[in-house]
This record gives sequence, C-alpha cells and structure tokens, in this order.
Amino acid sequence: MNPITPIMNGLKITLSHMFKKPITLQYPDERPKVAERFRGLHALNVSHDKAKCVACYLCPTVCPAKCITVEAGEDQNHDKFAAKYEIDMLRCIFCGYCVEACPVDAIRMTKEFELANYRREDFVYSKERLLEKK
Amino acid sequence: MVNLTIDDKQVTAPKTATIYEAAKLNGINIPILCHDNKLKPFGACRMCLVEVEQMKGRQIPACTTPVTEGMIILTSTPDIVKARKMVLELLLLNHPIDCPVCDKGGDCDLQNLTYEYKVSANRFTDEKFHHEIDYNNPLIERDMNRCVLCGKCARICDEIVSFGALTFIDRGIETKIGCEFEGALNCEFCGSCVSVCPVGSLLARPFKFKSRFWALTKQKTVCGYCGTGCNLTLGVKDNKVLTTIYDDNQGFHKGQLCVRGRFGYQFINSDKRLAKPLIRRGNSLVESSWDEALELVAGRLKSGNVAALATPRLANEEIVLFKKLMELSGSKDYDHSAGYAHSALTEGFAKSLGATASPSTILDIQKSDLLLVVKTDAYETHPVVGFEINMAVKNKGVKLYILSDKRGKLARLPDAKTLLHTPGNEIALINAVAKTILDEKLAGASAGSVEGFVELEKGLSAFTPELVSAQCGLTADEIKQLARAYAAAEKPLIIFPVGLAYPGHNAEMASALANLAILTGKLGVEGSGILCMSEKNNSQGAVDMGFYPEAGAKNAIQILDGCASGAVKTLFVAGENPLVSYPDQTRVRNALEKVDFLVVSDLFLTETAAMADVVLPACSFAEKEGTFTAIDRRVQHFKPAIQKIGQSRSDFEIFSTLITLLGGRAPVSPAAVFAEIAAGVPGYESMNYATLGETGQFAKVAIKPVFNSVSLTASKAESGKMALVTGSALYHCGTLSQYGEGPMHVCPEGYLEISRTDAANMKVGNDDLLTVTSASGSAKLKARVSPRMPVGVVFSPYHFSDSSVNQFWSGAAVTWVTLAK
Ligand code: SF4
Ligand code: SF4
Ligand code: SF4
Ligand code: SF4
Ligand code: SF4
Ligand code: FES
Repeated sequence: MNPITPIMNGLKITLSHMFKKPITLQYPDERPKVAERFRGLHALNVSHDKAKCVACYLCPTVCPAKCITVEAGEDQNHDKFAAKYEIDMLRCIFCGYCVEACPVDAIRMTKEFELANYRREDFVYSKERLLEKK
Repeated sequence: MVNLTIDDKQVTAPKTATIYEAAKLNGINIPILCHDNKLKPFGACRMCLVEVEQMKGRQIPACTTPVTEGMIILTSTPDIVKARKMVLELLLLNHPIDCPVCDKGGDCDLQNLTYEYKVSANRFTDEKFHHEIDYNNPLIERDMNRCVLCGKCARICDEIVSFGALTFIDRGIETKIGCEFEGALNCEFCGSCVSVCPVGSLLARPFKFKSRFWALTKQKTVCGYCGTGCNLTLGVKDNKVLTTIYDDNQGFHKGQLCVRGRFGYQFINSDKRLAKPLIRRGNSLVESSWDEALELVAGRLKSGNVAALATPRLANEEIVLFKKLMELSGSKDYDHSAGYAHSALTEGFAKSLGATASPSTILDIQKSDLLLVVKTDAYETHPVVGFEINMAVKNKGVKLYILSDKRGKLARLPDAKTLLHTPGNEIALINAVAKTILDEKLAGASAGSVEGFVELEKGLSAFTPELVSAQCGLTADEIKQLARAYAAAEKPLIIFPVGLAYPGHNAEMASALANLAILTGKLGVEGSGILCMSEKNNSQGAVDMGFYPEAGAKNAIQILDGCASGAVKTLFVAGENPLVSYPDQTRVRNALEKVDFLVVSDLFLTETAAMADVVLPACSFAEKEGTFTAIDRRVQHFKPAIQKIGQSRSDFEIFSTLITLLGGRAPVSPAAVFAEIAAGVPGYESMNYATLGETGQFAKVAIKPVFNSVSLTASKAESGKMALVTGSALYHCGTLSQYGEGPMHVCPEGYLEISRTDAANMKVGNDDLLTVTSASGSAKLKARVSPRMPVGVVFSPYHFSDSSVNQFWSGAAVTWVTLAK
C-alpha cells in the first residue's frame, strides 16, 4: 500500500468533520438535550400537597448502594408517611431500582445531572430537597 | 407409629399426628394459615387441603385430619393448587391489600402465600371491609379489615392465656374478631394474639412503623425479667432493640411470652440509661472518667469494712466475680434480694432437701396429675409458668388446688379449688395438711424411716385441721379433702413463688411444703415434687453461685444496719434498688445516708444510685454475654444483641477491672469464668457455652430429704385494722420494669386492691386516693376495687418508685394498716 494512503484517509475524516455539526457542547452556555429515560437526581412525587411516599421501605431495601434512608412516622390519621427520606448521592449508582420498586409511584428520576457540590453533606438530599422539584 | 405415603414417599408418623404434622415431621411442607403448633386443630382456612386416595380423592384439610394406617396422600396436585388459589382469592376479596403501609408486610403469611401461589389477579370483585380500626390501645392495634378469621388470636387467648379477651362477634360476612360488647381491649397484654396473627390485623403498637421485619437482626437470648427464663428473640436495628420476635420453636414455652418479655424491652435503649460514670462532688453527681471512678472505688475497697448487695439479675459469671472482689476486699458480707427472698432455697430447702434448688422443673407441670399452688400470685410472678398451669388444667385435666390469701386468675380455671385463708397463716395450713396425712395414715411407706419423722409428728401435734381451720377461716373438711387429694394423687406437684414482695416466712414455708412431699413420697418421680419459683431472671443462679452470707457473715438487713451503725464503711450495690424494693424505706434511707461511701452500678440513676458517691453505668443483658439459671436450674447462655450504650460497661468488666486494681487476677472472659463454675458448682459439671447451646441444660439437683418440723404462731389480727399483703403485679417484675414502656402503659403506678365490701363500707371507688398508715409509716395510693380480695384484706404491688409500699411496709408477712380517704 502506498504509505500516503492512510494519511490521506485520516485527513479525509478530519476534513469531513469540519463540515459537520460539532459534538462538543459549550457547557454551561450550551445545554445538553437529555434523553427521555435519563436517570438523574431523584424527585419525590407529590399528590394532595403531600409526598406520595408511604414509607414502605421497599426502595431502601432494593437499593444496591444502600444510599436511601427512610424513617416512617404516623400522622394524625394514623397513616404512614416518610418522616425522614434521604438519599446519599455520593453513593447512588443511578440504577433506578428504587423507582421500579416503589408500589405507589412516589419516586422518579429527573433529568437533573448537575450534582456537583462543595461539601460532602450537601450530597445528602433530604426529603425537602427532593420534594422541591415538582 | 403408622405407615403412610405422602407424595409418593413412604413415611411413618405417630398415631396421634394429623396429616399436617406427619408431613412436617418428614420434611414435606403443607401451607397453613389458621393452624398453630400450640393450638388445637381448628380447620378454618382450607389452605392446607390435600387429597387422600382412600377418600376417593376428596380434598380434606391436613391440619385437622388424623393419619391412619396406609393412607396415601397427595399434597400438591394441580387440583389442590387450584383450590388453594381459590382460597387465597376469596381471602383477598375483601382484604385491603395495603401491604406498603401494613406493618406485617414481609412477615405476613397471607402475603407470602399469595406470592408463592402467584395470585396476581382476582376473578371476583366485592367491596372492601370498613371496620373501625382501634388505634387507641397503646400496645395492640386492631385492624379487622385485614383479618382472615383464622381464630388463632381468640384461641390462644382462651386455650393458653386463659383470659378470653377476644372472640368472634357478629355473623356471616359481618363476622369479625372483637372484645365483648365491641369494647376496648383490656386484658393481660401478653401479646400472644399479636404473635400468632398471620396477617396485619393485630399489631404491636410500640413497634409500629419502626422497621420492616426483614431489616431486623434477630438475636436469640433469654428474658431478663423473671425466673421463668423464657427464651426470647430480639429484633435489632441500628443498635436499638426495636421489638421481640415470635419464634414458636423457642424454649419449653414455644415462644409464648408475658407482657414483660414481649412489651417490656424498652429499658434497654431508654433515654434514661446512664452513659458515663458519676462521682459525687459536694451535693451533686458529676460526670467523670472510668479510670477516675474505678480508682476511687478501688481505693475504698482496699481500706476495708466493705459490704455488698447485688441484684440477682446479674449473670452467673458476674456474681462469681463480685464474690471474688469481695474476698479481695476482705469481706464476707454480701447478700442479694434483701436476704429473705432466697431463704426458701438457702434455708428451707437446704434443711429439708439438703440442696438449695428445687428438685422439680417447669416441664413437670404437664406431666403431673395434681398441682398444689401456694399463693395465687404464682401467675403474676411467673406468667409463663401460669400459662403452663392453664394448659395442664384445661387440656390435660390436671387437678388444681390453690392455697392463697386472695383469689386470683388461677382460681377461675375449670374445677380449681381455692382454699382462701386469712393472711399469714400458710404455714399452719400446710402443717394441718401434713397432720391429716399422718392421722389418716396416708403417708408413704418409707416416710417413717426418713430422718426427723418423730420430731415432725411431735411438731405437728398442735396443727389439727380443726384448730387450724378456725384460725385460717376455712373448714376442717376443706383441709382434709386437700390432704386426701394430695396423698391420693400419683404425681402431685407443689409450686410456690417467692420474692422481694413475699417476705415473712419463706424458709418455713419451703420446709413445710417439702415435708408434704417427703411424707407422701412424692419426690423424685417425674411430674411430681416441689418447685420453688424465685423471683428474678437469675435468682436461682445467685444462690447456686453462693452469693449469700455464710454463717457468721452479715445478711442484707444486717449489712444495712451495719451501714447505719458505722460498722460498714463502704457499700457496693450492684443493680439493686433497696430504697424502693427492700422493706422499710426509712431504715434503708437512714443506712444509705449514714454509710461513708456508697458505690452503685446500675443502668439507671435509680433512687439508690442518686444517693451514691460513685455511680457506675452498667449495661443490660442485651449488651453482654453470660449465663442465667432459671427457677428449675435451666442454665441458659445469652449473647449480646447490641453494642453497649454510651460508655456503659458490663458488671463483668467493672468487677474485672476492680479485681485487677486490687491486685488480683481477673479472668479473661465470661467463658473462662463459666469453666470455673462448671468445675466448682455441683450440678454444673461438664457444662460449657457450647454444650448449653440455644436450649440450655438442666443442672442436676441431688437431694437428701429430711423432715424439718416448722411451726409459726398465727399472725394476730389487730382490731379495726386491715391486713395488707404485698406482692407482684402481673405487668411488672422488680423495679426494672418501670423503665419498660409496655408495662408502664398498662400499669403505670402503685395501687391498693380492696374488696368490694370494704370499698362499699368506706364509700371508696376506683382511683380514689387512700392514705394507708401502718406502724412504720404511711403513703397515698389509688384504690382499686376488686372482687378477688376477701373482706378485711388489701393488696399492694411493690414495684413503683412513686408512693412505694415500703414507706408503710416493714417486711412483715402481714402488715396491719388503717385506711383513710
Ligand atoms: S418505595 Fe416508594 S413508597 Fe416505598 S419508601 Fe420508597 S419512595 Fe416511599
Ligand atoms: S395483612 Fe399481609 S397481605 Fe394484608 S395488607 Fe398486611 S402485609 Fe399485605
Ligand atoms: S394480649 Fe394476651 S390476654 Fe390480651 S387479648 Fe391478646 S392473648 Fe389475650
Ligand atoms: S385477628 Fe389475626 S389471629 Fe385473629 S382471627 Fe383475625 S387474622 Fe386470625
Ligand atoms: S418476665 Fe418471666 S414469664 Fe415473662 S417472658 Fe420474661 S421470663 Fe417469661
Ligand atoms: S391450616 Fe388447615 S384449615 Fe387452616
């Protein structure tokens, strides 16, 4: 083979890219379009102004990273609710098992992926923070 | 044994077995929902359907059908599976299926079977139930919407607990489980119904929503309350004991527990637990380091004039170490349980049987044919033994005689005969029974040759039934009938409780009762004999380890007097709370105030600990390892379920360190001490932690019967006064149960039980405050009008720090009191 051919082939590819739309995003000026089924930060679903979660303990049970902490409480009507619901994002592996396990559709995963933070504590998402995203 | 074929497997089973039991014995699993090992077959749910060829392939319930020779049984044909699915569909038809919020989820028979049989849809539709849910009870939540009407709760409450609080009410589709007139649950709160309920209808409220069943670590252990020594499984999560778990394979009692064992565990993780050593500086106790506290204590121990009081809740190993520590301090003055609570064993049995333990065991109750229970309180002090008595009487037709100064629950058992005597006259009464046996020549053939027979004959001469009956408020015939029945029985068993609240003449009573057994020769035969039920979880162990004064040394009362007089300079109290539990509070307080240096090791800052110079935070049975010896010398090994709370240390560690500080050699581990025990304590030979295993072992009791004639002058009634008897309440054991939420929900404070007649005369009603005054003091207690009290007799339990009975009770068997509104 002519020693020049591979070089030419390479340059051809390089050249062709100059006329294509760039893949690199100018983040944060440009934002990625996240896929429909992307598994990002969790959110607790709300219904009737309350978290839907009934503290059944299935998500902490199924979670392979053991990063969900639930503590159940009893409200005035003697119903069960999550007095504490915490996810440690440093340990979460975004498998989505919790969403699948939930019998009452109380938890979903949002498209939120910007999870960087300055302090370790800030990675532990409390119930309030998880509820914020409607 | 009969031969049969189950699922093409040739098997044998006992004649009395049902198909279900036969299958289980041979490792074949038949699903059940309404059946329980301990209960009589019922056949309500039809989950256990099987086909029997001889019955032309009809489907019949395995749990109620007895096996017969040559039966050919199929347990899971497609037809059976179909039928079981249908059963489940029908059960789920009106069922809420709210598993996510149902606390039973994960431990629910209905859920498990639904999963196993893949019932994911229902062919039928109907409305769900709308029964009202009982959230009000602090211990048991009742949600009849989830009930599958298996009847186990009602059956266990009737067959074993013999209370009968729950029953089926209404008919047809309306049928549900409830209390009489649909009222609130007001029962013993033993939780038996909760433990057998296969679904989430009956739930333990203290555990509600705390955790899922599968997230709990299950640690088998031994109950830390009374001497019955029930086996227990603790459910632990995040170093907290959250509940007790029912395991029907555990112990002689097959998982049955009483309210203390089932609902009284909260003291383990109580907020009130001491976390750091405290040292007195001026008037207050301030936190200190262990080193400082122990150095201080060691210094005092070295300087002599030391005495010790221990609670018989300590493990055997700890008691042995405590004794060593006392020896190193040059002291022989140590005792437990106020000195008298163990005297039935250490004096009574020691003289009469030549042993400091009971020759009979709890297992004998089911094998006996006549039970003679002295003091109906046996049920209150040792409830699970009470269950055994219930079962023996109700299922096996064992005759029951009760000698008591008040009626009680046992008296309500079928054909139970209660000899209700005036308080304080037990000994005379027992002697009269012995006298009748002698006079009517009912004694065993060998009785005459037993040492002390002549003295006994002489000693009993004054106790003719005629004389005694007048004094006891009985008829001579009643006494004679009891004597005849006792002598005629093939395997009669005597049971009597002792304890801190039963002072007076324990030693004499033990001897008098032993005389009966020796006279009739009813000792040493399985199912007969005599069983002394000492109070705390390791009372028998404390006696076996010899933690009581030898001749010449001070007993508990003398130790307290020594503190007051200055003869005792340093008092080491391990786990006892004498200020509340020993008689005569004034005397105890005076002693504790006077003593130079008071060391208390305890879980809590008890009234006694609050007076101490050094308080050492000890840990509970759930945090340490050791052995407890139950009332029938069942030696059981227990292991820690959780890490120690705060900086607390086990008494084992505390005593070890002190022994080292005093220049002795401390053993390395509880196991090493147990090896010493096995080598030195009679009956414990060849035991070690491995051989004890999960079930424990009986330490053999070798007896040498001797007649020990006892006589006591009758207690004289004081005119115009009431006879006060003290004792235990069913919901409590010692003063420890005050820190258990369960017992405190049901029985939060002391009370005075008074007969209806007396109450009517005094015009008092329930909860009216009464001032009780005796020669030694007075206190205010709430009245509880009760049909079980005879006229002129009042009863008060001793467990409570507030308005404790020892303010007016000085340790007499009967205290004469006046009551005022
Ligand atoms: S599985 Fe759903 S309902 Fe259960 S605890 Fe998790 S979020 Fe709550
Ligand atoms: S009783 Fe069992 S099946 Fe019924 S809701 Fe509770 S866990 Fe589910
Ligand atoms: S707690 Fe015990 S006494 Fe009360 S209803 Fe249940 S089984 Fe009966
Ligand atoms: S409450 Fe529970 S134990 Fe009682 S009948 Fe219903 S399901 Fe059975
Ligand atoms: S307190 Fe006694 S009877 Fe009750 S569970 Fe504990 S050991 Fe058994
Ligand atoms: S288990 Fe046999 S009928 Fe219920």
